[in-house]
Amino acid sequence: MSMPPAKPASPRTGAAAPTPPAAANEPLIAGRYAVDLNRPLQGAGGGSAAYAVTDRRDNRAGLMAVQVAHGAPPRLSVFTALAELSDPRLVVPLAYGGVMGREGRLQWFVVCTAPAGPPLWPHEATTIRPWNDADLVARVLRPAAAVLEMLEARRQTHRGLRPGNLFGDPGGSGPITLGCAWAGPPGYAQPALFEPPYMAMCAPSARGEGQIADDVYALGVTLLVLALGRMPLAGMDADAIVRRKLEQGCFQALAGDARLSPMIADLAGGMMAQQPEHRPTPVLLSDPSAARARKVAARPPRLAPQALEVGGIAVYDSRSLAFAVARQPEAGARLVRTGVADHWLRRVLGDSTLAGRIEEIQRIRNSEGGPSDALADARLVMQAVALLDPLAPLCWRGVALWPDAIGSALVADSVDATTRGRIEEVIAQEIPFTWGLARADHCNPMLLRQQAKEQRALLRQRGWAGGLQRLDYSLNLLLPCRSKLLSDRPVTRMRDLLLALEALSGREDLRTMPPIDREMAAFIAAHTEGKLDKQIAGLGDAGEPEDLVIDQLSVLAELQKRYKAPALPGLAGWIVELMGPELKGWHNRATQAARQQAMAEAVPAGDLSAMLALLQDKAAREIDDRDFAAAQAAARNLDIRLARLRASSDARAEAATRLGQEGAAAAGLTALVASIVAALLA
Amino acid sequence: MKKGGADTARRGSGLWLQGLICGALVTLATPTALLGGVLLLPSVLVYFFDDSEGRATLRAVLLFGLAGSVRPLLALWTGGHSIDTSLSLLSDVTVPVLAWSAQGAGWLLAQAIPLLIRVALEGQTKVEMARLRGERRKLAEAWGLPAHPSDEGEDASA
Repeated sequence: MSMPPAKPASPRTGAAAPTPPAAANEPLIAGRYAVDLNRPLQGAGGGSAAYAVTDRRDNRAGLMAVQVAHGAPPRLSVFTALAELSDPRLVVPLAYGGVMGREGRLQWFVVCTAPAGPPLWPHEATTIRPWNDADLVARVLRPAAAVLEMLEARRQTHRGLRPGNLFGDPGGSGPITLGCAWAGPPGYAQPALFEPPYMAMCAPSARGEGQIADDVYALGVTLLVLALGRMPLAGMDADAIVRRKLEQGCFQALAGDARLSPMIADLAGGMMAQQPEHRPTPVLLSDPSAARARKVAARPPRLAPQALEVGGIAVYDSRSLAFAVARQPEAGARLVRTGVADHWLRRVLGDSTLAGRIEEIQRIRNSEGGPSDALADARLVMQAVALLDPLAPLCWRGVALWPDAIGSALVADSVDATTRGRIEEVIAQEIPFTWGLARADHCNPMLLRQQAKEQRALLRQRGWAGGLQRLDYSLNLLLPCRSKLLSDRPVTRMRDLLLALEALSGREDLRTMPPIDREMAAFIAAHTEGKLDKQIAGLGDAGEPEDLVIDQLSVLAELQKRYKAPALPGLAGWIVELMGPELKGWHNRATQAARQQAMAEAVPAGDLSAMLALLQDKAAREIDDRDFAAAQAAARNLDIRLARLRASSDARAEAATRLGQEGAAAAGLTALVASIVAALLA
Repeated sequence: MKKGGADTARRGSGLWLQGLICGALVTLATPTALLGGVLLLPSVLVYFFDDSEGRATLRAVLLFGLAGSVRPLLALWTGGHSIDTSLSLLSDVTVPVLAWSAQGAGWLLAQAIPLLIRVALEGQTKVEMARLRGERRKLAEAWGLPAHPSDEGEDASA
């Protein structure tokens, strides 16, 4: 990995501090980064807590660790796409991992390069000195556009552009640095003000990767805020901001009557266009004059002379109607189902084409089910929102999300059971595909269909390899394993899991239960991409305890082999202990004892595959089974013979009497004959 | 019922035939009947009390009695076949004692031989059962099979 140039000494980053020697058993992220929780870096995390980091391997200076919120794992793609990047204009993610926090709870961090200067918008400031045009263009727009161009080339987005997450240089006159946007899902930390309305209407974890045009939008808002020196719409909640943006247009909603230079007004206005394709590209922004000259004439929304009321909200245009229906799904469903919405669209708003489409889905809905069919209503609302505003996200029973954010939306700490249930419905019903069909001009429905089918298949998969838990991990590959057994151990990779289990094997209280629990099974299934699904599915079956242990051993052995884990003697001992004194899978006691002995001897080597081979020797098992059947037959035969002998007592007595009497008679006859012969001879 | 009736008829005709023979013997060969009657007195008694199947005890006792009576009868027949000779022979105490002892020995054999044979058979059976049980126990130990019930009983009693 290439390194950025060494930065000057900075008390904020602690870059100049000498590297203290590593303590024994010091928790390190990626085996090299030590997070110093006693040295917080104020403002460096762009709103998230940040701490100084020491590189124990290379003594690399200028690093920080930005804390990741619980249930908000970062994107995996940025770590691979930006791994080799060395650009002082961007805080680059280097590693991700967990260390034990002060409260005895695991805390997760993204280690990244630290910005050299302070944030453009100081923490908790309400106003700043307004920036002039020249500085905005030279120090903010051009460097940011260049970074966005580079990110776009790598198929990445930033989704964290805001004044508090942009950093100046120590001299205060150089280009800015884009801060860390990697410590959570895309757009997770963005206030609604800096997000396009269609992102802002989603929960922070449900905004999805988005596109570079969304970063352009955030950059446009940033230019506007810096030019104004204040935050517009301050104090308004996210829904109010979204409604204002939809009703008035984003630029108008934010700028209002403020006095802006024509250049900034033109640039910010273009960058904040409602339609992403109307915003200038990063390449175009590198030449602000050209970007300013490019004006796309967006058709202003058609306004109705009379409002339509949706759940107490008065709407005058189709976009606002879509937002109101999405936020008030029950009232919205009633309006659409009863034909009020299409009547308003046709007669009041005068959009007969849109009214015809709404009428069509209303007709289908009414033919499919009765008025109390909640699922049909939810489907109707989802389709209605997609038709009324094709730019809107998927809206399902009050939950707004982008399909690529299903994973992060599922695991967010803020997601309650009801919302999680709604998202499960979205997956189970393959709603993203239906949604894609309703707005086919803005997405690829076939791609959505494929993804929806894959997710549904995982959801419906039986056993421990499927269900929502499997989806949690499959859709969030950096989500730490949430097993209670691992509550104090950072596990995001399979190798870490095996090492954590090896460490846990020393705890006597755990050795009576199988090492892999439900949560771990889902984690393993997700990280092995279905290759161990068959074995993992069996872990949840209520069978013989020993079969369960063998299933566990087979999974662990496969993992040890696949991930080239070191010897795991503790885990091997744990398994042997669970097997008990007898290997019940084997019938012959001598074979059992020999295998048990061999298993015990294999423990110190920690080779789980060798242990599994001892238990699953197919040829020997067949011989054992065959001989066992023969032994059973022989035992049955012996039982029959014994029973016969026991039952033949009377017969023996009768035979003895008969033989005795015949013997006595024979003796008498012999005596008679002998007597006659003797008498005759005499 | 039919079979029972046939047996009774056969026994009745046999009894009649025996009575006829005995009557003829007493009438036509009185010395022989006298000597034979005295010498075979135990057999006569067994005849009345033997309830073994096929009168096996009577058969043995009678055969031994006849064996013990051959010499006196031969002496009677060669000595003139008279009442005097018959009484003379009977007056020799060794003659009836020998005949009666022979019949006693016959009775004893008829009782002892079945008993001895039964003891031998039971012993042989016990040895065989012990061998089979041993094989069964070995199988149970080697393959983890349930023990034979009789073994479990032995264990419990132990």
